[in-house]
Amino acid sequence: MTPDSIYTKSRPGVSGASIVDHDFALGGSLDDLCAPEDLRDQPIGLPELSEIDVVRHFTNLSRQAHGVDNGPYPLGSCTMKYNPKRNDKLAMLDGFGKAHPHQPADTLSGVWDLLWKLQNGIAEITGMDAVTLQPAAGAHGEFTGLLVMKKHFEKLGEKRKTILIPDTAHGTNPASAAMCGFTCRIIPTNDKGLMDLESFEEHLNDDVAGLMITNPSTLGLFEENIELIAEKIHDNGSLLYYDGANLNAIMGLIRPGDMGFDVIHINTHKTLSTPHGGGGPGAGPCGVKKFLEPYLPTPVVRPVDGIPQPDYDRPEAVGKVKTFFGHIEVLIRAYCYILANGPIGLKTATENAVLNANYMKHQLGDLLPSVFPQNCMHECLLHGGSLEVRGADFVKRLIDFGVHPPTLVGAGCVHFAEEFDEAMLIEPTETESVVSLDFVIEQFRKVAREAAVAPYMIETAPHHASTAKVIHNEAAWMSIYEEPED
Amino acid sequence: MPADILTGYNVHTDADRAKMLGAMGKETIADLFTEVPEHLRVDGLLDLPPAMTEWQLERHIRELAGRNDTTIDHLSFLGGGAYEHHVPAVIDAIATRGEFLTAYTPYQPEMAQGILRFLHDFQITMGRLLGLPAVNCSVYDGATALAESAWMTCRITGKKHLLIAESIWVEYQTVLETYLRGRGVTIEVVRSDEESGQIDSDHLSECIQSETSAFLFQSPNRYGVVENMTQIGNICHDQGIMNVMASYPILFGLKKSPGDSGVDIAVCEGQPLGMHLNAGGPYLGIIATKTEFEGHLPGRIVGECNDLKGEDALALVKEEREQHVARHEATSHICSNQANLALRALIYLSLLGERGFRNVAELSARKARYLEQRLTAVEGVSRVFSGPFFNEFLLNLPRPAADVLATLREQKIFGGIPMTQLDPEAPDNQLLIAVTETKSQADLDHMVEVFAAAIEI
Repeated sequence: MTPDSIYTKSRPGVSGASIVDHDFALGGSLDDLCAPEDLRDQPIGLPELSEIDVVRHFTNLSRQAHGVDNGPYPLGSCTMKYNPKRNDKLAMLDGFGKAHPHQPADTLSGVWDLLWKLQNGIAEITGMDAVTLQPAAGAHGEFTGLLVMKKHFEKLGEKRKTILIPDTAHGTNPASAAMCGFTCRIIPTNDKGLMDLESFEEHLNDDVAGLMITNPSTLGLFEENIELIAEKIHDNGSLLYYDGANLNAIMGLIRPGDMGFDVIHINTHKTLSTPHGGGGPGAGPCGVKKFLEPYLPTPVVRPVDGIPQPDYDRPEAVGKVKTFFGHIEVLIRAYCYILANGPIGLKTATENAVLNANYMKHQLGDLLPSVFPQNCMHECLLHGGSLEVRGADFVKRLIDFGVHPPTLVGAGCVHFAEEFDEAMLIEPTETESVVSLDFVIEQFRKVAREAAVAPYMIETAPHHASTAKVIHNEAAWMSIYEEPED
Repeated sequence: MPADILTGYNVHTDADRAKMLGAMGKETIADLFTEVPEHLRVDGLLDLPPAMTEWQLERHIRELAGRNDTTIDHLSFLGGGAYEHHVPAVIDAIATRGEFLTAYTPYQPEMAQGILRFLHDFQITMGRLLGLPAVNCSVYDGATALAESAWMTCRITGKKHLLIAESIWVEYQTVLETYLRGRGVTIEVVRSDEESGQIDSDHLSECIQSETSAFLFQSPNRYGVVENMTQIGNICHDQGIMNVMASYPILFGLKKSPGDSGVDIAVCEGQPLGMHLNAGGPYLGIIATKTEFEGHLPGRIVGECNDLKGEDALALVKEEREQHVARHEATSHICSNQANLALRALIYLSLLGERGFRNVAELSARKARYLEQRLTAVEGVSRVFSGPFFNEFLLNLPRPAADVLATLREQKIFGGIPMTQLDPEAPDNQLLIAVTETKSQADLDHMVEVFAAAIEI
């Protein structure tokens, strides 16, 4: 059973908060606010509960949610690594939380100093020259980076309209490109799981503004031809964009800037351990090489007379992608993560991420053969074709054993070509110990054994979750409006 | 292996690593990176500070936090799109629970009914508050909500000429232009009336063309003036265009909802609903519209469906609008949203309930009126515009606002925002002042006293 709506617990006239001030009488007329007929004359219909009832309602909801704190979460491409508690605590200090964005800039020197140091940290990790922390999430970072690329060609007086994107890209890539007014050309993947170079070269012409590529890709593979690709892109006068969704696979070992990328974004929840909050908020820092720095959105934080502060004097900037300076509370956590790890810790995290993914791939190899033979990076793509049941059913049974399902078609943020229909993308992340990995592996085996003797147990799973298997149907749409029972 | 390998969040012992590598028939970690060209690898370590212990980190971050002044150590009348309403302790306690905070987007509904339930209740609650039932799970902030809605109107009408009120936050206008520039949308600005500070309705009528998709405005606007939603709605509908209103959600504790006043798409900056100021973010973008425009909404939507047993369940629905399915044809590129902040807004409204929410709105309005009356009694101080206000108002001062604010700051008062900070072309003697329920009468009296003295210097 899905948990009840809070509206079912509403008791008219109850409030969980006392909002009074005896110096200001309430309830009189406020007819200077608007025309009398525009004043509210009906209740809004808000839930009405006592404080403890609110606390119990949401605490109970939390028991029907699964986070990294609850157990393994090998959701490929989403990188559900541990979110350190110390970061939560420090991000919520009053010195940040109670600071107003319109305070005079000189009263926020701790904020500017932190942002400046974080920009430098990200620049060092990625090999870029300048970083903006304004974008709200990864897709927003893409949008920012693409606007910068567009501006670059405007300044050159070139009207390049095409962005090349491999077919394994996150859906946000073409969606962000379309928002900037670019046309997308999709490059197929070859049988090694890498971008098809022949097709890439066929598409390369003087209308191409750039190539957006994720490396390692969403198939968990390192794009071995990256230097050749960079060379061809640059020879064509185009720019190379790095979707940093999988930077966690190479952090501290290889830098996008050194591979030839001109523009990048990263997702702080994937690489720098910020929590995903059940959907957000994220942060999507965008980095560029020096020649593109003037186009970063206003304001940039940089030292003026030696003191970091927001610089609004940006005549060449692409504009602004959101209000104020970025998701400060998220960015503080990212900064803490870099400092708590240091260069050795960051490199270790990467090594462990790749070690864990390869270990899973190897240990499950007899049951779920790897789609590609080479080493994987932070995640592995495994074939579910030889199972006795559909992959989509198989993974639902894992829920009963406390393991979040891996990514499948329709169950994650990754787009797969049809030939990967029965494939599972598994990303254990670096923060699972070998004990935890062995536990996850054993649950996969348990489900596979069961599939051979009692496939109906798999097909009707999960059996111990808060609902049975959820059925999507068209009627679902209309019911978003269904009034809850009062 | 270096001695400090156990820095950071490493979970493996050397023995674990050796065992795992051995199981794969590998000898070293480097054997896993054979696909990465040798010469591309970082030579040694990144140039970053060495790992900090938890206490070193805490000392460092506390030092940075301590360098900021805040609305706790100052008496603050800052607004301008972010407001200091009280944040009940329940919100921090619940929203930071690990089950909520460390979960991903609810792709697996059987494991995420708790998250789907609060998102669905958020949608319902925003639908009620704004009088428009089609609501998504949030976008990044008020400005991007306005920009996404502007593009919705272009998709719905097939037209690419937008009218915007001159009186929206300058920052919102910049974000809007940044979002729409690449899509070939032209933007024209509608003037405000010089006397009232409200939209010049004659100018609005004149600006509407056959290719106009919508009129975008804000209420209260950047002068704090509340617009006449119903009149604007009528003009837009009579002349065949849509309208989008950006607003301050607390206002609707007192005023009719946008949906009841002719607004087609209502967007809000949700920060006042239980979010800390956070030096500017993360905040909460809310979009609500009519059912007929539902298919054009950006981002996630939660709907009711059934499970195998025929019982009620919740899931993400209508994903064919979204980037992971529609790719370049998606309504938006948005993937991550502000789910944890939508949770905060829902807890806030559930805790306050009908009466508490109305009281927040009314106390803010009454205290703002008290302060406005006392400040405009000071010689040479008057409101810039005569139009109605909610809890924020714009004053003309007899001296540059920056000078007055500097004096107030010496007394630990953030006395408001100089209009030149929001709009460099504004006169330098205009000051925007916001008041919330958190200010006591003694606070307001103190402000008046220090302000009057600052004016007279």
